[in-house]
Amino acid sequence: MFLLPGFAGVLLFYLLPFFEVVRRSFLKSGNSAFVGMDNYRTVFENGAFSLAVRNTFLYMAVGVPLLMGISLLLSLLLRNLLLRRRLVSAMLLPMAVPAAVMVLTLQILIDRQGVINGVLTHVSEKIAAFPAFAAIDYLNTEWALVVVVCSFLWKNTGYMVILWLAGLAALPKEVEEAAQVDGANRWQSWHYIIRPGLSGSFFTIGMLSVLQIFKSYREVWMVAGSYPQEHIYFLQHLLQNWYLKLEFDRMAALTVILSLVLLVVCLLLQKRMEPER
Amino acid sequence: MKKKERVLLYIMICAMCAAFWACGGQAEEIPMGRYADREVKLPPGTFEYMHPCPDGGYYLYGLDTELTYVDAQGGNRSKDRSWENNANIHAKYEVGVSDDGASVFAYTPKFWNDEELEALWIAGDISYLYYYVDEKGQIQALEPHGEGYEKGTNLNTFAFSPEGELYAASNNAVYRVNVENGEAESLFATEKQVKSIVFAGDVMLAADDGKAYFYDRAEGKLLDGNDALDAFLSSHSVGGLVMAVSDKDIHVNIMDDFAGAANDDAGEAEGASDREASQEAADANTAGGGGDAHILYMACRTGLYRYIWGGSVIEQIADGQMTALGDTQRSPRSLQVLDNGEFRVMFSGNYMVEMYYDETIPARPAKELTVYSLEENGWIRYAGQLFQKEHPDVLVRYETGMDGDNAVGKDDALKNLNTRLLAGDVPDVIVMDQMDIEQYADKGVLKELDGILQPYLDDGILYRNIVEGMRMTEKEKIYAVPMMVYLPLWLGEEMYLEGEDSLDDIVAGVELARQKHPEGPILYTLYPKDVLLQTMPVCLPAWTKEDGSLDVEKLTAYYQAVRKMWETDSAGFDDAGREAWQKNNMEWYEPEDMDMADIGFNFQYAAQQNFGETWLQLGFLMTPQVGMTGIHVNKANMAADWQEKELEDVVTYGAYTGQADNVYWARTIVGLCEQGKEPELAEAYMNLLFSDPMMRKWWLDKPRNHSGLTIRKDSLNDILDINNIEFSQTMGFKDPTGINRPNFWPTEEEKQWLYQMMEDASCCYRPGTMLEECAMEVGARVLAGELTPEEGAREVERKMAIAMEE
Repeated sequence: MFLLPGFAGVLLFYLLPFFEVVRRSFLKSGNSAFVGMDNYRTVFENGAFSLAVRNTFLYMAVGVPLLMGISLLLSLLLRNLLLRRRLVSAMLLPMAVPAAVMVLTLQILIDRQGVINGVLTHVSEKIAAFPAFAAIDYLNTEWALVVVVCSFLWKNTGYMVILWLAGLAALPKEVEEAAQVDGANRWQSWHYIIRPGLSGSFFTIGMLSVLQIFKSYREVWMVAGSYPQEHIYFLQHLLQNWYLKLEFDRMAALTVILSLVLLVVCLLLQKRMEPER
Repeated sequence: MKKKERVLLYIMICAMCAAFWACGGQAEEIPMGRYADREVKLPPGTFEYMHPCPDGGYYLYGLDTELTYVDAQGGNRSKDRSWENNANIHAKYEVGVSDDGASVFAYTPKFWNDEELEALWIAGDISYLYYYVDEKGQIQALEPHGEGYEKGTNLNTFAFSPEGELYAASNNAVYRVNVENGEAESLFATEKQVKSIVFAGDVMLAADDGKAYFYDRAEGKLLDGNDALDAFLSSHSVGGLVMAVSDKDIHVNIMDDFAGAANDDAGEAEGASDREASQEAADANTAGGGGDAHILYMACRTGLYRYIWGGSVIEQIADGQMTALGDTQRSPRSLQVLDNGEFRVMFSGNYMVEMYYDETIPARPAKELTVYSLEENGWIRYAGQLFQKEHPDVLVRYETGMDGDNAVGKDDALKNLNTRLLAGDVPDVIVMDQMDIEQYADKGVLKELDGILQPYLDDGILYRNIVEGMRMTEKEKIYAVPMMVYLPLWLGEEMYLEGEDSLDDIVAGVELARQKHPEGPILYTLYPKDVLLQTMPVCLPAWTKEDGSLDVEKLTAYYQAVRKMWETDSAGFDDAGREAWQKNNMEWYEPEDMDMADIGFNFQYAAQQNFGETWLQLGFLMTPQVGMTGIHVNKANMAADWQEKELEDVVTYGAYTGQADNVYWARTIVGLCEQGKEPELAEAYMNLLFSDPMMRKWWLDKPRNHSGLTIRKDSLNDILDINNIEFSQTMGFKDPTGINRPNFWPTEEEKQWLYQMMEDASCCYRPGTMLEECAMEVGARVLAGELTPEEGAREVERKMAIAMEE
């Protein structure tokens, strides 16, 4: 009974629009003629779609494990420090930085005349052993994905550290202390006590990291536009450009495909990572 | 789920559906009656202002015309102007007129004839000077002085009280000035320049763009202000706001109300009670035949408003969109309230209307024609007003995606439009400038126009080649048509571009000019982007192959050419020299906001200032008359500035060619929507756009606008007929250089040359395409040396490949 208002909201604002999207995915935009699976076929045959899928999954495959790994490592290091709270607060700062400021900072750093190129050029000039450094236009070369992954890590690591710390705090200390008394080393403690204890957090943090990957599109778009270097052309670029080009039918099909893929990913993650009940 | 809960769930779902259905709206009954307007025929002369008289008559005046009194019946008589013979006036700036015909004005003297005066002027001891002319035409110099008046302060706004006292405002104070001896008494300070001064009994209301000052003249003190009025002034002063006070109220349909900041938080209930209170005050005032509750009427672009003295609600009694007030090309200058509830509004450009309440027409037209464009387009707005006049039962709603106030970018505006289209909220007419016509045609948004265009093409009314240039290759149909075009034009010494037939010829011309003039700039290109802006329109149409793919070779050649042009141009000065050159031109140039239209503008106006510094001008002819005369003026300036009179004969102008031939730049490209709600009205609107009044009157009324050259042949001929032009009035030239402009009017030969160019123009350039944006962005990097031309072309190809794949 108490769920009714919430369910009504989900029905009205999520499920019904989604069903409408599913319906439209079988129609041609413009004259609304039924075209069966044509839109899906068009999407799968589309070269931009292949590129966007490849890039998005590569971004996810690199970004999510890196984010989870680095933040876990940091949380383990910070776990017993006295200054933990202050450090974590400092690490949260990137989350509070507006996207526009973040993009500006990024441009100052990675521009052809930016800080990074400046420093590297300076160093290569000062140290004779170094080969002469030629300034790189990071966002317009293969380095673009590295830049995007780094900015993603910079922005989200602090938040993930907090989540890991919460997970670690929930572990009973006595078990770890008992293991230490029994002579377990750090690796053994991690492998047999901490890691199994964090399996619930793995699922939550993994899911959040995947979602953050999709949310980071805004910064990529702001820094590189609608048609960025081909290595950072993601699915959201495709969706956005199709929207501008009135390709509503393809968009609907792609949205359905993406939803299904995300659903499968969530279920798989849930199956692998959630602790057995 | 229990049965009870299930029932409750069904009830909730039903209630929700009912609420949504209710939100859908029900048929609304439209009340009858609203203000309409009729044009008032003015006496001969060029008038800008009106001073309303208590007897229902009014004085008309302008800066350069005699004061003319028009009585309530329309009879007129001009005041004697012989006093001007004794006055040393170079230019008049501000004028104030009293009820009995006395006037005061600010002017600048012909100081170059008077060394003493010139010395004072240069020292800054004088700025404006003032004359007072009494009702009999006796002139006397007015020299404001006194405590609180700083010598040299400019008085910009004048108003005579009903008793004949003169009040004047500077940019930070209001004064009472004794016309006999010039004694100026500072009454109160203001935050900005006061623009309007009106009187209601003993109280004077002075208003600037954001604040209303109430001054009690009897007590000599400033009264409390009014937040609602201040908020109203802040938000409604753009484009001009005029005021008039009356003790007569009118009973009309209120279109809307502006409760202002004071009521923003209080909600509608309080607004409504305020409105009732205001009406009661007005009723009491009317019944009592006068009293303290005067009524202030205000006219601005958004409409005509009423404010009951002391109230907090400003009510709209006429919608600007449905009257002449909404014309963005004219500003209201004066307002008069007549005893019969009508209003007279004087506009800039010698135009006056009377607004009358018509009870026989609905308060809001039953039909609505929606016109959409990404950016504000004065011509389209003008067409809407004309259409509305011809169809009083139709409201033309003109909507813009990027209206300048909301900082919405092009992509966001397109997204908003697409969302509307997706939701079925389709405009009837759509201006396709900066939009992808093929895309919208492919998706069935645009209607094919061949049927509408055929009669115009068969009768030879429109330039067929220009219309045909819009035919989509794949569908072989026309979905949108430009109403105007720009034509590419260069100006310079003939030898530089002799036989110019390609982009390489332009490069060769620049190099030749550099050989002759080793120092300084050759082109009017302050920044690398300018070279691209000046050359891309005549090259871009050639970059797409027949199969739609990018011609990388041509793009590479283009980048090589523009790079050579930029390097040749830059070789004339060092970094400091270029910086100085950029700084000197900043008055004309905002690099961040520049587009090709501005370059064209520079070609015709700003570039005049730089001839002698630059030797080749590449740009676009954007206006029929001013553009053509501008060429001549430029030539004259070139010869004068270079001080090489013999050059005059070799300085010439002509069309220029890049990689594409016969390019025209399509402007105001209009299409109709297939799913529009009023298809018949939309077609009628389209026919109005093609009509002679729209194509001709616009340029005759507003020759300085940059809309382009009309695609209707007879209208273009008429526009270039010198007999249709009133130089002093419509061209707006004050002739400060002593150049007699009519001497620069295009000759018959030149007109024929222009018509031929129009006949030949067949290759359409439409700005704002993805390819252009991409080529511009990469081109800037090529010119900056970050990429080679080959790398640049490949970069564009790569980006375009993704777009093509999409």
